[in-house]
Amino acid sequence: MTDALPLLAQINPGLWVILAGLLAALLPVGPARKALAIAAPLFAAVMIFDIYDSTEVLAGQFEIMGVELTTLRIDNLSVVWGYLFCLAGLINAIYALHEDSWITDSSALVYTGAAIAGVLSGDMLSLFLFWELTAISSVFLVWQGGDRAYHAGIRYLVIQVLSGVLLLAGAVMFANSRGGDFMFDYVGLDAPGGWLLLIAMGIKAGFPMLHMWMQDAYPKASITGTVILASFTTKFAIYALARAFPGTDILIWIGCIMTMFPVFFAVVENDLRRVLAYSLNNQLGFMVAGIGIGTTLAMNGVVGQVFVHVIFKGLLFMSIGAVIYRTGTAKASELGGLFRSMPYTTVLCLIGAGSIAAFPLLAAFVTKAMILSAALEEHLWVPFAMMLFASAGVMEHSGIKVPHFTFFAHDSGRRVREAPWNMLLAMSLAALLCIVLAWPWGGYELLYSIMPYPTDYKPYTWDHVVFQMQLLFAAIFAFTLLKRFRLYPAERRAEIVDMDILYRKIGRGAAVWADAVWTRLSARMSLGRGKAARRLGRRLYQAFSPAGALSHAAPSGLASVMTVTVLALVLVFAYVAGR
Amino acid sequence: MTDTPRRRASDDPDYVHPAARPFLFLGEAKVKRNFIWLPLAGLVIASVLGVFHPAKHPAPWETIGGTPIPGSWAIFGFLAYSLIVFAAGPLFRLLGRREDFYGEGGLPDPDYSTDPMLVPPAGDAPVGKNAEDFPPQPLSGKAHSVDDLPEDGR
Repeated sequence: MTDALPLLAQINPGLWVILAGLLAALLPVGPARKALAIAAPLFAAVMIFDIYDSTEVLAGQFEIMGVELTTLRIDNLSVVWGYLFCLAGLINAIYALHEDSWITDSSALVYTGAAIAGVLSGDMLSLFLFWELTAISSVFLVWQGGDRAYHAGIRYLVIQVLSGVLLLAGAVMFANSRGGDFMFDYVGLDAPGGWLLLIAMGIKAGFPMLHMWMQDAYPKASITGTVILASFTTKFAIYALARAFPGTDILIWIGCIMTMFPVFFAVVENDLRRVLAYSLNNQLGFMVAGIGIGTTLAMNGVVGQVFVHVIFKGLLFMSIGAVIYRTGTAKASELGGLFRSMPYTTVLCLIGAGSIAAFPLLAAFVTKAMILSAALEEHLWVPFAMMLFASAGVMEHSGIKVPHFTFFAHDSGRRVREAPWNMLLAMSLAALLCIVLAWPWGGYELLYSIMPYPTDYKPYTWDHVVFQMQLLFAAIFAFTLLKRFRLYPAERRAEIVDMDILYRKIGRGAAVWADAVWTRLSARMSLGRGKAARRLGRRLYQAFSPAGALSHAAPSGLASVMTVTVLALVLVFAYVAGR
Repeated sequence: MTDTPRRRASDDPDYVHPAARPFLFLGEAKVKRNFIWLPLAGLVIASVLGVFHPAKHPAPWETIGGTPIPGSWAIFGFLAYSLIVFAAGPLFRLLGRREDFYGEGGLPDPDYSTDPMLVPPAGDAPVGKNAEDFPPQPLSGKAHSVDDLPEDGR
């Protein structure tokens, strides 16, 4: 089906973006790099559009060491992620226009390209290659956050690379069970290597207990770095899960737990970028649960949710990034009242907050409802309740907490300028998409047109709008009521420990203790060895030296006994050997 | 230009962006105090509408004797939100630590943060383990007036 494709169309479009990133690393001229950063994702999108014709396209196939690779596959699933990552790359590039850093420009392009190439890969070895490339290229964005981000970057890299290693191990086991076929399709947990693949993808997707890298690294990256990071890695993993594990029951529960636990961390967290990182984790939970449900409605909901999530989550990260850019902090305890000096950013942030909270006419209203409806259709009452609970939590941390403590609450007294024009432009584009993709009159149908399965789901029904508004108004009312009675906790500076305490504190302490024990033990052992050697030497000297015991004249009786014993041993040996 | 923050605070402490001037009333204490009526009104209207437009596919716990509860999501949302907020106190005591707990400089960037933790007042050397050992300190920058303080006294 693809033999007739021209050579250009045989190349994975993500590779062009990676190439642009490598070129950007060599370009000393800032504006030229910026032009590349904008043009490359656009070009990749054009290439995807040119190659994809609504049927599955397999291309770029070649054999290496007996393994058949398919470096390009565009079908109804991967095409959505392909377009989405191109769009995110474009918006991120606009947002980063103010930043004159070749490291950011080149690593962002390579990272974007690797993510595009990864989702458009047809086989698991290509997937692994780009899986690792996203990790390696993106760590520079973390390190751009300054010295304080160094250790977080190292931890991020180790965990991401570990995820890749597990992915490769699982892929090899899975391919071996299929006679060496590395094609990336449905895997399931019963297949050899299935669990390894699930854990590998789970690390990148932020499964519970495997999620800490996100809240550790994202808030410490540079302003633009966080925005870029939030767009790709986790959504790449969601794509892999949607491809390999649709309808896997355990994902429903993993996803539901993912939606709930970040809510409790976000409510006590002071750093708003970290709050958004928890919020990101929570949103990924809806997607994972949807993949676990696996019906056509659920998978459509997942695809739609991924698409709008990249946009509204990016918008929220961008607005807080703009605040950091102007105020120097993202801590709720130090912010407040910024609507006076950053009114446009305030409005754009509110649109992002309304989108993530699923207000009618805003992005997630359509897509999150599809996942919840899919749970209802399958009579998954408990997961439905968990996701509904988490929806109230989303309203708390992203819908209310982030905009309230940043732009309203008490006046922090900061009088700053509005965000730079490029940031406002990028945020405006994202905000516009948040509205357009949920617009009742033809807007959400645009989203439907890229979903993998045909759907006639109607989001704007009376009961859906009414009950969603009940949930949202109830949450806002509870907030205002708790504030009025001073029951809402004040934002306090603190480090909120998460599971990463296991390796950052306990594990590190154990390693330091083991090192100290080893140092002492090796000193003791060295001392013991010396003593033993000296004792042995002394014994040998006492036995064999000219003054030793064996040099003394032995009594003739003893000498004859010894001689007879030796001869007897020789005779026994000769007898046994001669038999 | 790099990605380091550009604060450039206005010299005028009363500076307000022209586009924000029509909305300054949002910062008034009276407006903040009375804001509660807006979500309450929305909640009542949405709940009343729930009588006329009941949920088509309610979960079992959204019904009483097979009849859908008109304000089921309102009740659920209120309780869920309150539970989350009330969990914050115990959670903070359980999970909150000093910002330099990990010895990596904490979350604020020492290059530009105005966090007083990074520049503690003279003679106030931090001691203790938990974040609660460190009561909130006054923010640096513009001094607060009494009117600026929120109701929770922060």
